[in-house]
Amino acid sequence: MSTLREALGAVWRTPRGRAGMGFLAFLALLALLGPLALPEPFRQFDLEELANAAPSVDHPFGTDQLSRDVLSRVVSGARISLAVAALAVGLSVTLGAAVGLVAGYWGGVLDAVLMRLVDGALAVPRLFLLLLVLSVPDRVPLAALILLIGTTGWFATSRLVRAEVLRLREETFVRAAEALGASRRRVIFRHLLVNAAGPLLVAATLGVGDVILLEAGLSFLGLGVQPPTPSWGGMILDGRPVLEAAPWVSVFPGAAIILTVLATNLVGDALRDAFDPRGA
Amino acid sequence: MTRWTLEAWLGAGLAATVMVAGAPRAWAQRASDPARIVILTGGEAAGPVPTLNEGPLGATSNTDVTDQLFLHLAELGPTLVTTGDRGFEPGLARSWTRRDSVTLVFDLDPRATWQDGAPVTAQDVVFTFARARNPALAPSLSRLLRRITSVTAEGERRVVFRYTRPYGEQLYDAVFHTAPLPAHLLAHIPAESLARSAFVQAPVGSGPYRWVRRVAGQFVELEANPRFFLGAPAIRHVFYRLATDPEARMNLLLGGEADAMDNVPPPRTNVDRVNAAGNLRLVPFASSTVGYLLFNQRDPRDTSRPHPILGDRDVRRAIVLALDRHKMVRATFGPTADVPFGPTSPMLWIRRGAPAPARADVAEARRLLAARGWADHDGDGTLDRNGSPLTLRILLTITSATRMQIAQQVQEQLRQIGIRIELEGVEFALYNERRNQGRFDLDFASASQDPSPTGLAQSWSCSGGRNVAQFCDPVVDSLIDAAGIATGNTERAWQAVLQRIEADAPAVFMYAPTFFAVVDRRFGNVRIRPESLWLGLREWTVAGSR
Amino acid sequence: MRRWLVRRTLQAALTLLIALVLLFLLIHILPGDPLAREGEHALTPEQTEALRARYGLDRPLFGQLAAFLGGLAKGDLGVSIQYGRPVTELLLERLPATALLGGTVLLLNFVLGVWLGVRQAVRKDSREDRWITTLSLAGYATPSFWLGIVLAGFVGVRWRLLPPAGMRDPLGGGTVATAVDILRHLILPALTLSIVSIAGTMRYQRAALLEVLRLPYIVTARAKGLPESMVIWRHAWRNALFPVLTLFGLWLPILVSGSVFVESVFAWPGLGSLAIGAVGNRDYPLLVGAAVLVAAVVVLGTWLSDVAYAVLDPRVRTS
Repeated sequence: MSTLREALGAVWRTPRGRAGMGFLAFLALLALLGPLALPEPFRQFDLEELANAAPSVDHPFGTDQLSRDVLSRVVSGARISLAVAALAVGLSVTLGAAVGLVAGYWGGVLDAVLMRLVDGALAVPRLFLLLLVLSVPDRVPLAALILLIGTTGWFATSRLVRAEVLRLREETFVRAAEALGASRRRVIFRHLLVNAAGPLLVAATLGVGDVILLEAGLSFLGLGVQPPTPSWGGMILDGRPVLEAAPWVSVFPGAAIILTVLATNLVGDALRDAFDPRGA
Repeated sequence: MTRWTLEAWLGAGLAATVMVAGAPRAWAQRASDPARIVILTGGEAAGPVPTLNEGPLGATSNTDVTDQLFLHLAELGPTLVTTGDRGFEPGLARSWTRRDSVTLVFDLDPRATWQDGAPVTAQDVVFTFARARNPALAPSLSRLLRRITSVTAEGERRVVFRYTRPYGEQLYDAVFHTAPLPAHLLAHIPAESLARSAFVQAPVGSGPYRWVRRVAGQFVELEANPRFFLGAPAIRHVFYRLATDPEARMNLLLGGEADAMDNVPPPRTNVDRVNAAGNLRLVPFASSTVGYLLFNQRDPRDTSRPHPILGDRDVRRAIVLALDRHKMVRATFGPTADVPFGPTSPMLWIRRGAPAPARADVAEARRLLAARGWADHDGDGTLDRNGSPLTLRILLTITSATRMQIAQQVQEQLRQIGIRIELEGVEFALYNERRNQGRFDLDFASASQDPSPTGLAQSWSCSGGRNVAQFCDPVVDSLIDAAGIATGNTERAWQAVLQRIEADAPAVFMYAPTFFAVVDRRFGNVRIRPESLWLGLREWTVAGSR
Repeated sequence: MRRWLVRRTLQAALTLLIALVLLFLLIHILPGDPLAREGEHALTPEQTEALRARYGLDRPLFGQLAAFLGGLAKGDLGVSIQYGRPVTELLLERLPATALLGGTVLLLNFVLGVWLGVRQAVRKDSREDRWITTLSLAGYATPSFWLGIVLAGFVGVRWRLLPPAGMRDPLGGGTVATAVDILRHLILPALTLSIVSIAGTMRYQRAALLEVLRLPYIVTARAKGLPESMVIWRHAWRNALFPVLTLFGLWLPILVSGSVFVESVFAWPGLGSLAIGAVGNRDYPLLVGAAVLVAAVVVLGTWLSDVAYAVLDPRVRTS
């Protein structure tokens, strides 16, 4: 775990990494506390007067057609987007690591079969898979959405972990541990897994950005997070008819997505440089 | 590849892009001819041939083009009255006479010809109705024509329709549901394979416009039929341009790439955008839509039992009275919709002479609920009876912003008399599934009606195919039957139907909107016909054309 | 070489087969009835049964899988529920539009990405380098549909510089005018897709070139006194180009996914908008057909890029 702390420290030292980490920390804080501090997202009355109001002191991001405060909704949307992304990526990484470890360590037929399956699954773009699944009639609750996004994202990670395991297996310290009586496979898993954690963390960080974009896209198509739960993609969809009259309804959620994904990509990049300085 | 080549490519690409971007639209030779119209649609006309408009091909994007290519025997007049023999406008049939109470005789216009020059004969009508009345070929159409017993030809230009019994809409049934097909071109094709034949890819009709071509996924092009016997249209080229996304349609319209659209998609700010564009005009027309909150008569968890709350007519009446429908409709639609009496869209002619819908009466609503045993026993703000709270869920589709808006207002208004409403907004496919299975308390439905009031039976008679709430009042059934076969004072008969439906309170009849089509200002004599929007295109004029 | 080629091709075929079986299984474990239709055009029970028989939905699972794969081998992907026409026909109709858009974006990304990548590698860590990297990363982080909406709304509608949607104006006349018209309509969608994906190519090329620049033979060339531009473009770049060439196989899935949103927003009549329409109408035969086509394209693209790499770098063939 000290390597993790070292890596994070290395990230913090680069200006871009600092910017990314800072923004993510700020966003996480806002998401946790925000809804408590901001005005009510929806007011039942004054439906007419407050609709599509321009940004002002009362409503720094303006209001949308149903007189809801855009800033509150962006912050609420942050909670949803970050939660979905974190959980889905957590699931992907766990599944990918598990499969990659099994394939890399045991090798042989199991490895060949698993990797062929992964190859096949990688052939269909994730979006198409999700479109297929989400076009099913039943309403998709948030938990199911997270599950679906998570289970469609582990393929590349498994390849990554498998490659790491194959590489690490040849390392002397692993050979030594094996020679010293192997203890139990679990110890070796700890050796292997701990050392594969670096690339895994990089993949996870970059994966968060991908999932945020994916979930926003699905919500934009009406297939992701269902209204009235706020989501950035859904807000962009809502703001589309009033783009000329009230651009803030679409622009601010879009900006939120860009900044968040940019931050995760910057952190992921810096992490990758920290773990493997060759590619800078 | 050297650096210079790469940079040369980049530079050339940039220059080409700028030039292309700057190329004015006037490159299009026909753009300078104002006698053309580009109409935006949301679907493709995949099979614009009469008797093939079943299922997905029954969508308006397909029937609109069909109606331009194929002229009907007669058309509805401006009053949209569907009963009786008068008020219809001649089409392929120049005149019609009644021989007896079950026989109508049509005389075809001798000037009527198919677009390949052959004359329209009685044989064409006989051929068409043989197809149309065949349940294997046209299931829905044959059902609509079930009261016609025979269609026979008497000579070259006379067609005789015989019916099962006397009823008011005999003429309507003969002329509205399908237009005649050219027998001389289709008789030799096996009936089942018409849908896949070459005729469908290039139909030959009798109407004011001729088929030119279809560019897949993009547009359908029609041109004026110069030999059209009722007068060649002033608009020479018609394009139905496809853009499935409503916002993309707005963008095309406002960007100057289209001339007309059949409606302004919500929200209302889009209406302002159209008004701000100097070259566009809003044309109101009576819509075929009526929106209502349907009460489920059955328990959603077990449809064999009546609904525990809504099975009680007084509770339903109370809900209707508790809602200030006029205020909600005005807030959402402005002046462009009214509250209907009974399930009547603006297009339905029977709404003329109907009484005004009931005004809100919150006091009466409270009294009715109290009389039925609903009171706030536990002080939580929601009425309850025998321990169960008066909580109801409204099922609606998230694709309609207007219904979402109204539903939220309904929620607030009912909260004030102690009824707790939960909104269940789901995506369209799921919404249909739920409502067809009866899994809802209230269904915020938006029905699209036919010009004929007999369509009410679909939703409001005991055995109606669309009666998802299982509303059943035998008196309503008998009144609908009586109105359907009445030949005399049909208006009075239908009023009785509406009165009885309102008295039963099976739904809160919420809004009957006026729709607005958008048309470029250079077109004159614009009449949007509610039963087939662009049917009047052949009579429009164009400013600035020869 | 030939043995490697055969092996690689068989691998690709197997991958495709597995992808198809997975797709098929996915459809069939999903709950819900693919034939439920909307209220206005509700089907009668007889019609539903007829459709069920026609699409073979009443046969057991393996029977359907066999029919599915068998049909695929003959190029038959079933009949679309929405259109009533063969799916293969519909897909082929819409393929050229997507190919045009995708091809243009690939070309744009390649030319512009390579040029920028080389430029940034040469000016490594300068202010320009850092700004361009951040900007391209910001572009990568931008949702394609959002960018599309903004560009269409402002450039297309408000300023009326370019058409906001569609592929061509129906009023076009003449071949040259039509070609120019299509190009005009192509600009905004291609620009949108390019902005959100160019960072990948650019940074890859930059990294590849930096790696090559460290190699001894470059140091030698510099020591020999060769002008810098010759060192970069004549000697280093050729070797740094190969990895980028092979990237094209990897970018295909991204272009396909990205094009789904862009085609929807710009009403571009390609496969993406066809797929969206199929989702909305639950037209499963069409949706599955589109997924099959996309999987085939991806497998083909990966195969092509592997072959390209093998042709250019003999070391690969021996592995």
